[in-house]
Amino acid sequence: MSNTTSQAKNQSESRLNVLIIDDNEQITKMISSFLDLSNHDCTIVNDGKDGLELIKTKQYDSIVLDLAMPEFDGYEILDTLKKEDPSQISKIIILTASSVPLETVKKFKELGVSSCLQKPVDIDQLLSKITSVTG
Amino acid sequence: MIKIKQALFLVFGITSFIMFYIGLLNYLTTQDKGMGLIFLIFSSIVAFGTLFAGLYISKNITKPIESLAQRMNEFSKNNYIKKISVDDKGIQELQSLHKNFEDMANIVGGALEKEKQLNLKLHEIDTRKTEFMSMISHELKTPLMPIMGYLQLLKKQELMGELNEKQLDAINEISISTEILQKLIQDVLTAQKIDLGKLSVEKNIVESKTLVENSYKAFNPICENKGAKLVMSLKTTEMVYSDPDRIAQVFSNLISNALSFIPEKDGLIEIGTQDNSDYVTFFVRDNGVGISEDQQKNIFKKFYQVDTSSKRKKEGSGLGLSICEGIVKALGGKMWVDSTVNQGTTFFFDLPKAKIPIERFQSFKNPAKSKK
Repeated sequence: MSNTTSQAKNQSESRLNVLIIDDNEQITKMISSFLDLSNHDCTIVNDGKDGLELIKTKQYDSIVLDLAMPEFDGYEILDTLKKEDPSQISKIIILTASSVPLETVKKFKELGVSSCLQKPVDIDQLLSKITSVTG
Repeated sequence: MIKIKQALFLVFGITSFIMFYIGLLNYLTTQDKGMGLIFLIFSSIVAFGTLFAGLYISKNITKPIESLAQRMNEFSKNNYIKKISVDDKGIQELQSLHKNFEDMANIVGGALEKEKQLNLKLHEIDTRKTEFMSMISHELKTPLMPIMGYLQLLKKQELMGELNEKQLDAINEISISTEILQKLIQDVLTAQKIDLGKLSVEKNIVESKTLVENSYKAFNPICENKGAKLVMSLKTTEMVYSDPDRIAQVFSNLISNALSFIPEKDGLIEIGTQDNSDYVTFFVRDNGVGISEDQQKNIFKKFYQVDTSSKRKKEGSGLGLSICEGIVKALGGKMWVDSTVNQGTTFFFDLPKAKIPIERFQSFKNPAKSKK
């Protein structure tokens, strides 16, 4: 039932293909169910390395990226993309629980990151950032 | 300035010269050349003896004093002195001076060394505390994210299906508690940053009235809800250096505080600006229970809660005012309070006017450490 209502609501909006990279499974699940209900396609990955691989091999409209992850973290993903595929950086929305100093936020902006959000984020705000990546 | 060596040399030198001179004069003027010669030889011996005694004494007095001065110098540089073997043949008073200085230096040096070790240990603990806090912040904020997300989702009934009134009620209660929890975590983190002098503020040029108007707009409905009146009083149009988000936080804390202490009927909160030479003074005034002078001394301290007979529910971490003060200091201003019990309280804070060069306010970068 909920599916039909949400489909009806979002019929006019374009369907987005979103990648979520976060080691916290509850968070990825929550965001993906929200995107699902809002009628967007969503891929979740709980490991930085797998995330980077997906960014390189597949096309996404928008990428939600956590910074602090074990083994391969968000900073390393950004570093790699900067060297290998900088065009992907503009699709990235950073979503982090650590408090990021203003200078670092500025550096992210210079790098071309779409936006930088602090956990816990307002889910509507996150969705609006995700949709605004693609205009 | 004169050296002991020179003084002694002068005194003994002149004395021996006079002795020799008297002997010589006596020899040249006396009739009895034999006696004169004996007297001359005698006076020469005495003169040379005096000269050598002078040299000897000068050496024994000045050397230990010079070496003491050197050791003192060494101690003030390194907080440590090397032990030296004291020469038994020297002057006793000077030797005991050396010995006593050595004892004192060892005690002071030991205490300083202990303090140094303690400081190192404290620094290490402090670093670990900072790491711990940053870890905790991450660990506490992360689970809040799905809680808040799912709560928001559940409220979107067109997506998640309809809820009955009781279920909605329950969800609203969870939302309120979650928000309180989130604000507490945020407050602890902000207070921690202020403590470390790491609070990052932007110093943008902003209209002073905009800062007040924004908070007025945000809080007017809330005050109306609680039956209180919120009024605005703007006495200046000056621009200030400010961080609008941080100042909104300051106003939010001050107005929320005022709301918990105003009377249930005819509660009045006034917010506004005044001109104050190089600064613009902002204020939040209420007609609440007031704060006694004793309590006024403590309210900016962390975790301090004003104990009043007010029946209103008091919530919060006791961090609000210390955070406000930290933010204002980081922006180059200061904060103070004026209150009369049973009449009301006014909190004031200054922000530097934008026409003053910003360099003058850069020294306030580290509010925690400048506070003593």
